[in-house]
Amino acid sequence: MPDPRVIDGRDMEAPEPLERAVAELASLAPGEELVMLLRCEPLPLYAILDRNGFIHRSEPRADGSNEIHISKA
Amino acid sequence: MQPTLSFEQAPPISVPYRFFLTAPMFGAVAGLILFWLGPAALESRWAPGALAMTHLIVVDFMLQAMCGSLLQFVAVVAGANIWRPRLVATVVHPLITAGAVFLATAFLLERQLLFLAAAFSFAVALGVFLTVMAVALLRTPARGMSIHVLRLAVFGLLVTVVLGVILASTLGMQDTLQSVWSLLTLINVHVAWGLGGWALMLVIGVSYLVVPMFQLTPAYPVWFTRLLPAGLLLVLCLWSLQLLPGLAGAQAWQSGVGIAGVLLAGFYAVTTLWLQARRRRRQADVTLIFWRGAMLALLALAVSWLVFEALPRLGNHERAPLWLGVLALPGVFLSVIIGMLYKIMPFLNWLHLQQQGGTAMPPPNMKQMIPEAAMRGQMRLHFAALLLLLAAVLWPAVARPAGLIFTASCLWLEWNLVGAARVYARFRDKIRAANAASSAAP
Repeated sequence: MPDPRVIDGRDMEAPEPLERAVAELASLAPGEELVMLLRCEPLPLYAILDRNGFIHRSEPRADGSNEIHISKA
Repeated sequence: MQPTLSFEQAPPISVPYRFFLTAPMFGAVAGLILFWLGPAALESRWAPGALAMTHLIVVDFMLQAMCGSLLQFVAVVAGANIWRPRLVATVVHPLITAGAVFLATAFLLERQLLFLAAAFSFAVALGVFLTVMAVALLRTPARGMSIHVLRLAVFGLLVTVVLGVILASTLGMQDTLQSVWSLLTLINVHVAWGLGGWALMLVIGVSYLVVPMFQLTPAYPVWFTRLLPAGLLLVLCLWSLQLLPGLAGAQAWQSGVGIAGVLLAGFYAVTTLWLQARRRRRQADVTLIFWRGAMLALLALAVSWLVFEALPRLGNHERAPLWLGVLALPGVFLSVIIGMLYKIMPFLNWLHLQQQGGTAMPPPNMKQMIPEAAMRGQMRLHFAALLLLLAAVLWPAVARPAGLIFTASCLWLEWNLVGAARVYARFRDKIRAANAASSAAP
């Protein structure tokens, strides 16, 4: 399995992480994973993922941020 | 963890945009009135020109932008269902616009009938808006201080509108209607709820969310987020006691309540500036600078109020309230509104285009929706207009250039916002054309 692509959006101004994630989704291969580090739960991104056939799971991290794993359904 | 934005319920883009694109035009008209009337408009807060300009700015600029933002924000932040947003906007938007034009004209021409027309327009428009907003905010499952403060702000707007409609009706039927309150008492309470209970409360509620999220600051301390709106509400209730018979003349405690109110406002400004100083990213975008400018103006307002209390000769000057008014309206509220519009419109463009184009036709970069240089140029002009307006309060001879520069700043803002709307329309048409071509292909 290839190394996941990572977007560390913790110090990015909203909504830049959302914009970057959507740019990455277009080239995400089946089985490949996109990991996002964010200080919030990105509900708008979840809506975009659901509409475009991606699955996601969110894991809370010790520093209070979230790690979101995204891949093709 | 920071609060979260949701977009499942976002209303059609035309709902907020009609409010956003109308707002700056009436700022431009207010500037033209100042240019036209010159120093006469700034003789005192009761000058017809001053009253007309004030209401064009607070209703047709601030209220338009705030209603448009709230329709979007409540759906997005609270995940609240707004009842038929397109219909609500179709009723509310033209009536608010017309109401403010009636009111401004009524002040300028002193026509009683126009006061009644304004009262009727506002009663219908804001009756609809407040009902829809109250239902949405009360039924939302969302929690958090931001939502509570938004509810308080909507209540603040209700009190402001009720008092405003009573005032306009009283002015419109002076021959037949005698208010049980003196006009001055009503105006004092109306202004306090309008600026403190509605506008500032809304800015506070929104800032709890957007300052940490968009400006990468630490969150506001939890105790602060609870104490500030509660304190502000208490101050407004105490201030409103002057409506009770027998208490209208109790100036000593009124002055104390006023001081408590501006201390709270000043405390909020200092806290926000302190959080902004601790932001994790050093680059300052226009929204951040607009917010900073607004908080500095709020701090200057609080300090000016205290100086006016300490030096009654200065505080009793006819133009002292105008000084406070310029700091509050163009200084605090327009700065926040313009800064937010520069963030909101590119984001809504992007979001709605993303929904239409999906990952196959990604929308343009958010930073390309309004050119950075155009936003910065307009921001400089806005703050130059603010300084000139303050100078015009001190030296009314500056009134005409101040009015012109303020008009120019509002027109530039309009140009920038129309530009963003055109980017949206252009790209939406591209997506539609691509969809049509692909569905036509065998």
